[in-house]
Amino acid sequence: MTRSGWANGWLPVVGVSGLFVACLVISLSFGPASLSLSQLLHYVTAGPGDRQPGSTIFWQIRMPRVLLAFVVGASLSVAGVILQDLFLNPLTDPYVTGVSSGAALGATVGIVLHLPGMPWMTVLAMTGGLATLGIVWTAARRKARIDVYVLLLAGVTISYLATAIVSVLMIRAGQDMHAIVYWLLGSFSGRSWPEVKIALIAIPFLIVPLFFVREMNIMLQGEKRALELGVDVERTKRVLLLTAAVLTAVAVSVSGIIGFVGLVVPHVVRLLVGPNHQRLLPVALLGGAAMMGVADLASRTMLAPTEVPVGVVTTFFGAPLFVYLLRRRRA
Amino acid sequence: MALVSLEEASFSYDGRAVLKRVSFDVQQGEFVGVVGPNGSGKSTLLDLVSGVRTPGTGVVLVEGKPAHRFRRRDMAQRVAVVPQSFVLEFDLRVRDVVEMGSYCRDRSPESCGDVDATLARLGIAHLGERRFTELSGGEKQLVVLAQALMQQAALLLLDEPAAALDVSHQLRLFDLLRELNRDGLTVLCVLHDLNLAIHYFAKLLVLSDGELAALGSPEEAMQPEVLEAVYGVRAYLHHYAGRTFLTFSPRPRVDRRGRVHLVCGGGTGSSLMRELIDCGYDVTAGVLNALDTDEVTGRELGLQMAVEAPFSPISDEAHASNLRLIERADLVILTAVPIGHGNARNIEAVRTALEASKPVWVAEGVAERDLTGTAEGLAEASVALFRDDAELLVHLA
Repeated sequence: MTRSGWANGWLPVVGVSGLFVACLVISLSFGPASLSLSQLLHYVTAGPGDRQPGSTIFWQIRMPRVLLAFVVGASLSVAGVILQDLFLNPLTDPYVTGVSSGAALGATVGIVLHLPGMPWMTVLAMTGGLATLGIVWTAARRKARIDVYVLLLAGVTISYLATAIVSVLMIRAGQDMHAIVYWLLGSFSGRSWPEVKIALIAIPFLIVPLFFVREMNIMLQGEKRALELGVDVERTKRVLLLTAAVLTAVAVSVSGIIGFVGLVVPHVVRLLVGPNHQRLLPVALLGGAAMMGVADLASRTMLAPTEVPVGVVTTFFGAPLFVYLLRRRRA
Repeated sequence: MALVSLEEASFSYDGRAVLKRVSFDVQQGEFVGVVGPNGSGKSTLLDLVSGVRTPGTGVVLVEGKPAHRFRRRDMAQRVAVVPQSFVLEFDLRVRDVVEMGSYCRDRSPESCGDVDATLARLGIAHLGERRFTELSGGEKQLVVLAQALMQQAALLLLDEPAAALDVSHQLRLFDLLRELNRDGLTVLCVLHDLNLAIHYFAKLLVLSDGELAALGSPEEAMQPEVLEAVYGVRAYLHHYAGRTFLTFSPRPRVDRRGRVHLVCGGGTGSSLMRELIDCGYDVTAGVLNALDTDEVTGRELGLQMAVEAPFSPISDEAHASNLRLIERADLVILTAVPIGHGNARNIEAVRTALEASKPVWVAEGVAERDLTGTAEGLAEASVALFRDDAELLVHLA
């Protein structure tokens, strides 16, 4: 009873907000050149105009990279919550809609054609992701309604198709193969302000689901029950699916395919605060951002100067944590 | 204006007609039960009224407007549903689940309803902080009802709400519904248990293969002939201890196996009558005094009987009518009925059957209960003796 009282309160939201700030500070402080808190405070207050070399590195390299990691983490995590609920399927992650595979195909085409990474690869990735969404969406449309099961199956199918094309391109790519593989693994390495600007597209889409908290709770009972209780189910599905797809497309196009966050963060958060979206969504948003920030920090410091792909880090630390939480819950 | 009005409403699913030109009205404040065999279209009927499905032809009006034209939120303010199955595998608190029902109402406290009051009304105030997934089936059903009541709709639709409930929860649920109905809620409830339907509902609607088979008071709608046509079973209406109730037998065999005449009384023949009919025999009985237990049972089963006035000795007339029935029977059975001066002529009738070389089976205890000596020697003369009904039925089944 005491545990559920805690879990039902707002304490987790406050806690995760603190965690979020702490992770932000830690991510900005540590790196190949670590900063003290006072240095950090000085750089931040002085702004990017400061001519000190340390400030330039901070503002041109570390700040955009950390911001990007936070936005991508939040996006994947929120997209994961939305899709797991809409499909009522715990194995769902943001990549089942096929958007990520489409984005990967777009990026691969960019690499093979030797287009400059920014903006072309990102734009191609975004285009590939949204085009895939269009195809899957059309497949799942029956009269005025979206059939989520068809959507899920069409998404998985088109994922395989896009992955197959990527494989063909990789075989024919020769020297570019390394670049493709590296992109597919997902990383924030070398990303800067142009990517952050693209990632900012995600911000309004992170906020949209917060206006659908009640609808999302009710839809946990299935679409028919939601209709009976007065929810405009088709409108809610359209808005949420589009939101999840755009969040995924943005995340993938700026950072590649980073696994595990979108699958596991929603589950971990559900275990901590329960399935009520009023708390689940904000906690998942902040928690996903914090987790990605820390994972990126680990990726650039663990084996410095070599970078470990951030997707590897998220899986490496996320998997045992998840198993631990599941077991503790069962006990 | 009727709250709900169906006019020739039809619905097909993948080309199969589920509802065929159904018309009826539900007035404000009515308490209506919907019964019918599996697959007769009951759930679809509720889906049409709640506007979740659109009729193929015909119209379904709620407050005079086609049900499927409502915005969902407006519909939820008028019609609430308690679904047949309710799946919620997420670990929400009961309070949160119930609160979802107020989604269709404004946020303001006056109009959005009170979760605690609703739970208290259903006698489950103590469940508010529990997790929904931990509840028993009966508790879940009441929580879903609470969720539906939070909509504060004028009409409540229920789809087999009692299907998964034990008898005490069943009665509690229907008592609650009746109470809510007295407070002004209009109820349209699908259910399977015909005896609950008779007992609780003022008006019953019988669906058969997508068509309206009967509509009216329980007495009108639950006629045995109607039920036999709709369900394909034999139905019997009984009146006992101030209650009307139904019992059922499988549809009788079409090939009749012969005619059995029962000489019985005082309840010694009641169970045999029913069993023999179910085995495929035509059954007659006599002479019985009117209002005797066996006479009442025989009347409910629709038997042809020789009947005498209550508490009167057997008259010539009744005796003659009994002899006529015996003459047409293939077998005569004398149960362990106590024999006194009033019914001694029945033994005479049995002897007549013996003389006419009819097969006669006699219960072993007859001589002991004979106060007159009339039955003396009867056991020895009869074709067969039987100890009890079970033994007899082994031979006749």
